[in-house]
Amino acid sequence: MQIPEDLRYSTDHEWIRIEGTRARVGITDYAQDALGDVVFVDLPDVGTAVTGGASISEVESTKSVSDIYAPMSGTISEVNTDLGDAPERLNEDPYGEGWIFVIDFTDASQLNSLLSATAYRDLVEG
Amino acid sequence: MPLSYGEGTLAEHRACRANAVAFDVSHLGTVRVHGRGALARLQAAFTNDLMKITPGRAQYTHLLNDADASVLDDIIVWWIADDIFDVMPNASNTHDVLSAIGGDDVTASRAIIAVQGPEARSRLATIGPDAAAIGRFRVGTAAVAGITCTVAGTGYTGEDGVEVAVPAAEAGIVWDALVAAGVVPAGLGARDTLRLEAALPLHGHELGSGITPLQAGLGWVVAWDKDGGFYGRDALVSERERGVARQLRGLTVEGRRPPRADQVVMVNDAPVGVVTSGNFSPMLEHGIALAFLPPALAVGTEVIIDGRGTQTPARVVATPFIPRP
Repeated sequence: MQIPEDLRYSTDHEWIRIEGTRARVGITDYAQDALGDVVFVDLPDVGTAVTGGASISEVESTKSVSDIYAPMSGTISEVNTDLGDAPERLNEDPYGEGWIFVIDFTDASQLNSLLSATAYRDLVEG
Repeated sequence: MPLSYGEGTLAEHRACRANAVAFDVSHLGTVRVHGRGALARLQAAFTNDLMKITPGRAQYTHLLNDADASVLDDIIVWWIADDIFDVMPNASNTHDVLSAIGGDDVTASRAIIAVQGPEARSRLATIGPDAAAIGRFRVGTAAVAGITCTVAGTGYTGEDGVEVAVPAAEAGIVWDALVAAGVVPAGLGARDTLRLEAALPLHGHELGSGITPLQAGLGWVVAWDKDGGFYGRDALVSERERGVARQLRGLTVEGRRPPRADQVVMVNDAPVGVVTSGNFSPMLEHGIALAFLPPALAVGTEVIIDGRGTQTPARVVATPFIPRP
């Protein structure tokens, strides 16, 4: 299972790539494997104000539906519209072309509550 | 059976529509009913009429609750020989079927491998030519990879193919030979999306407590006038005379979002029915569903599926969702 060292993680099995004051978010390799084939991603709207920990999106696979949470508070500044026709990118390239949205975050201190790659590996491999 | 093997549900689904897949469906029950009176016992219990077929053929049939004509189980009967029947219930209903018809539960003695898809027969032919030649809804004994099996031209995918009952101890030999012959292992996830595209009912969803064969659109399974009747006949005759209050129909949505079981179907802001199964159709690449709806809602009617706070436009369509081969 891939858990890139340069990313942060949430206990909801999302990865967060810090890009200055922006956080790019997707689901982890572990999450995509557990979901199975993703067939639909319900993207949040650009410009939406979100609160860290709130459910803002859903991912549906052939077997189930899962919530996607905002890992930090802020404003949605970008969404991956390519997922509309190609949601399978979450399975094929979860840390790359399978990114879901970008948050312009407002409270950098929330970074401290995210997990390191090592801590996330401990979580999923327990 | 796992939900999927290495390539995932969508790839397994497409392999069944374009090539050939194998499902380990050993979890199905097998109740062997044999000896004098076997035929009469089945005839008195099940809705379909075994006199329409002969030994060496298979038949789809229902066992109904005698009081309300609910479908206790939907069943395939393999008529093996004159007085030998292998009755195949859904796993969780084996006990109900045993109490209705007697017989021996031989489920543990065999594995069942369903080989399905347009290339199922050609690939099977390389390791069991006689097995591959067993026709649709025929049953016979044939060797597969050197193992003597009972083979039936049945399945649950909407594709051509066979189901192979193999002695449990030899199941691995047959499975491995099928895979070596180019048959792709497929799991429960693909089994469900395949049967949904083919609009085949799943007990517990489209059939079950409170659901009659007429509501499920399976009146053809009912031999109303056969000698000896069947369990639930009086209740079912009453429903036929009244007219069904709801009917199983197909729904399609434009987008990819899968409708899901238990979501409510609305017309003009009023609830009119409920989704029994829904998913993404890998072949059509949009969502599809089966739902119980008022019989008056014609094909083409626009409805709304209300699920998890999202209202999705949908349309009543004829089934199956994909053409039969």
